[in-house]
Amino acid sequence: MQNPYMPSPVTIEQIDIENDLKDIKTFRLKFEREEDSRRFNYKPGQFAELSLFGFGESPIGIASSPTEEGYLLFSIKKTGTVTSELHNSEQGRKMGIRGPFGNSFPWDRMKGKNIVIVSGGFAFTTLRSAIIYMMDARNRGDYKNITAVYGARSPGEFLYKKELKKWQQSEDIDLTLTIDRQAEEEWDGSVGLVPSVLKDVSPSAENSIALVCGPPVMIHFTVPVLLELGFRKEDIILSLENRMKCGIGKCGRCNIGHKYVCVDGPVFTFSELEKLQTE
Amino acid sequence: MKTGILTKPEIQELFSSMITKNGEESRIFVPATIEGRVILEEFSPEREIFYDFANFLRPPKGIFFPQREVLCSFEQERAVEVPPAAGRIIIFGIRPCDARSFLFLDKIFSAGSSGFADPYYLGRRENSVIISLSCIEPSEGCFCTSLGGGPGDESGSDIVAFDLGDRLLFEAHSAKGENFIEENTTEFRQPDAADQNAKKESLQAAFNAISRISTDGLVEKLDDDFSDSFWEEITATCLGCGVCTYLCPTCHCFDITDEKDRDGTGTRVRTWDSCQYPLFTMHASGHNPRAEKKQRMRQRIMHKFSYTPRTTGDVFCVGCGRCVRKCPVNLDIREVIRKINGE
Ligand SMILES: Cc1cc2nc3c(=O)[nH]c(=O)nc-3n(C[C@H](O)[C@H](O)[C@H](O)COP(=O)(O)OP(=O)(O)OC[C@H]3O[C@@H](n4cnc5c(N)ncnc54)[C@H](O)[C@@H]3O)c2cc1C
Ligand code: SF4
Ligand code: SF4
Ligand code: FES
Repeated sequence: MQNPYMPSPVTIEQIDIENDLKDIKTFRLKFEREEDSRRFNYKPGQFAELSLFGFGESPIGIASSPTEEGYLLFSIKKTGTVTSELHNSEQGRKMGIRGPFGNSFPWDRMKGKNIVIVSGGFAFTTLRSAIIYMMDARNRGDYKNITAVYGARSPGEFLYKKELKKWQQSEDIDLTLTIDRQAEEEWDGSVGLVPSVLKDVSPSAENSIALVCGPPVMIHFTVPVLLELGFRKEDIILSLENRMKCGIGKCGRCNIGHKYVCVDGPVFTFSELEKLQTE
Repeated sequence: MKTGILTKPEIQELFSSMITKNGEESRIFVPATIEGRVILEEFSPEREIFYDFANFLRPPKGIFFPQREVLCSFEQERAVEVPPAAGRIIIFGIRPCDARSFLFLDKIFSAGSSGFADPYYLGRRENSVIISLSCIEPSEGCFCTSLGGGPGDESGSDIVAFDLGDRLLFEAHSAKGENFIEENTTEFRQPDAADQNAKKESLQAAFNAISRISTDGLVEKLDDDFSDSFWEEITATCLGCGVCTYLCPTCHCFDITDEKDRDGTGTRVRTWDSCQYPLFTMHASGHNPRAEKKQRMRQRIMHKFSYTPRTTGDVFCVGCGRCVRKCPVNLDIREVIRKINGE
């Protein structure tokens, strides 16, 4: 019997500081055993439990795409015990990983559709995975227009600046970056909060699916904009971050109504969530 | 159905001979008294089996799902698997309600619920024999018959034993139970009409003593969004101590934490946890979806009477009455159900 509580050994290969506040770092992990790497089959939208022995585990969304072979990326904000210890770590440190867990973005339903991506703050991680995946030459033909609106407090707070630059120059994605208010630094993107910028960009709801990841307030104000644009509730896709321990539907803490976010989620449609929230 | 009679001294002897038999080790759990308390305790030939009790304070779930257990150890930043102890487990003398709770726990810890099987629970559970003991004098607070159970109910039991005074009548209800009687057939005598009569009488008396609630249409009733004030009223006096969940035979929520020694070695342990504690669901951001008592009690009731019926087909309450008897502020789950029923 495969033991779902046993972490597989991985090594931190590289650590990149993502933002000016230096509280978000991206960790590049490599499996020590080839068989673990092969078994770790994932789709964008899933998460893993990262283990630092003696400190504990944290559920973290997978920021790399399965098209990026040979390593995994996780962008982690310094928050409590485990994430702070991760931030104190150096390249070469050994740790553990369990997963992949949860469902993913609805990749079957997304085929042949226009994809609209809306994100704010550092919740962009699994959307990086989704964009890299769709932009891969082997997959790009499966999706129509890709439109993305991504907001941060200030220019220095965007994640994945290298990729963002590449996407801004690409014909394959229409990316709008926005900052909350006018910055002192040089800035040639939009200024304003994500929901209002989304309204300006006004992507068509026709044959479209929207993936929305961000802090609760952003989601609260973004969903009405999408509904107004004509998106159906089942075509608005959200990802939840409930507190988790086991990641495998046993420990009982991550539920919303009768669903466990760790196995039935973390990705839900807005119409599913509306029903679950009243349960 | 295979049946058999043993006198109480014969049972004592049988278990003594079974601790090691044909090269196989068994851990046998039986009712015993320690300092005036009746507990489910590991059997040894010197330990006298005790029969004169209503039920144990603690549910038996800890035998398969210990209150604290090591999942793995670690040294030099590497995890080492710690498998559960091997060997057969025989549980004798738990009440039918508690035996029934194992069927529910089985669903949670097997792969069926989420695609992941729990090797720690299942490793112990799969190699176990459950011999329950029918109830003679139910306690205040028992309401098993309202939830599909009963004083002689066989669900979850490999064998049900009926206490007939100086002797016990054993009835096998599974292949494991039949094997058990078969393997030890020289010790068992066949029951006669007097034995069967005595069994019927004791069951009827117990049955009549058990309180009842109505659970008709409860899942649908819970679909109605009860107002916040409904839950607030119910939980007005609740201390949030979690006793109702720790003592519940079907509650299975747990925490996982690391314990580290100075030299960097340590263990990852799993411990019982409770939905009645605010930290149970507190997000890293500080946001808490169930920050208030009323939300946490609602979760407890909904989980047992609405969510698990949908996900597993079972109400996760066997009516053992522990939470009724032991809540320090007498918050009675039967009363909560009656209120939901509009009674
Ligand atoms: C599906 C999913 C995906 C996620 N993806 C990401 C991601 O990509 N990147 C990311 O950075 N995060 C992500 N998270 C969030 C991440 O899991 C948490 O930030 C992380 O688990 C925090 O762990 P920690 O050990 O550092 O904090 P902990 O030490 O567990 O603390 C968590 C928080 O609770 C507080 N706390 C702890 N104990 C107490 C106490 N006794 N009293 C009061 N407060 C207390 C701490 O101060 C802290 O703010 C995700 C979560 C989920 C569920
Ligand atoms: S035992 Fe009683 S007081 Fe304690 S948490 Fe349960 S309902 Fe509240
Ligand atoms: S909810 Fe109360 S009565 Fe029901 S099984 Fe649990 S402890 Fe027993
Ligand atoms: S994290 Fe344990 S049930 Fe979801």
